[in-house]
Amino acid sequence: MAVDVAALKRDWAGFEFDRVEFPVSAEELVAFARAVGETAPWFTDPAHPELRAVPNFTTKYHGRRMWPPDFPRLSKTSVGFDAGKRVEVHGPLRPGDVVTARSSIHDVYEKTGRSGTMIFIVHRMEFRNQRGEPVATVDWRFLQQPDPD
Amino acid sequence: MRFEDVGFGDELPACAPDVSPEAVRRFAQTAGMLHPRFFDDEAARREGLPGAIVPGIMSQGLLAALVHRWAPEARIELLDTTFRAPLRVGSKPTCRGVVTDLDPVRRTVEVDLTLANEAGETRVVGTARVRLP
Repeated sequence: MAVDVAALKRDWAGFEFDRVEFPVSAEELVAFARAVGETAPWFTDPAHPELRAVPNFTTKYHGRRMWPPDFPRLSKTSVGFDAGKRVEVHGPLRPGDVVTARSSIHDVYEKTGRSGTMIFIVHRMEFRNQRGEPVATVDWRFLQQPDPD
Repeated sequence: MRFEDVGFGDELPACAPDVSPEAVRRFAQTAGMLHPRFFDDEAARREGLPGAIVPGIMSQGLLAALVHRWAPEARIELLDTTFRAPLRVGSKPTCRGVVTDLDPVRRTVEVDLTLANEAGETRVVGTARVRLP
């Protein structure tokens, strides 16, 4: 199944399709940090005055939907997989914050390798705190292999 | 660790993170990732995986922790990881990092990161842009 990547990008990239709020607790911040082996008290001690999130804490958040409504399925046989995550940290995330996450398709591109053509869909979540300050941008590269013709 | 202490090509002290079934379950619970592919070998194999796998964002977090152990006061501004191949739950991986660029104006360094299994096969690669005091 040939996929028109340029058309996919033109039609779907850049539009917000989901928005969700997440309250942030000290317990969540500490549990995540400890589970990845962090040891500094500003990540792992719930009573630390400078307690803050580890850089990729926001990757744990998911919106109510993964893709925009009616976003086309690129394969009947492959579910695709998580090819990578890029996290840009804009500011600290602290206990008591409430972050708003806005989801969009950021990019669509293809690569051709030994195993054929692969389509990468970049799902972006932009996080701002309750004061509207940017906290993080998380880009998730989702890889999908189209069905053969 | 201050910016002045770092040189091009410096290697971060390697570490051997815990990806035992108990550690992965603990992470998955806190991250809300309760899919059986992270706990159940049979369920993972039905999806075409070699067995239960470590969540990608857990691997990413382990690499961030490597940077923080090297430079506790560091602020990671950017963390970009590619999940090249599945990392099995219960394997014995190693996290490594090497400094590949320095920006004295912004006092930031670029660190190339890898997470490899006990066979030396790279499972996750990444880069971090790290601001140092």
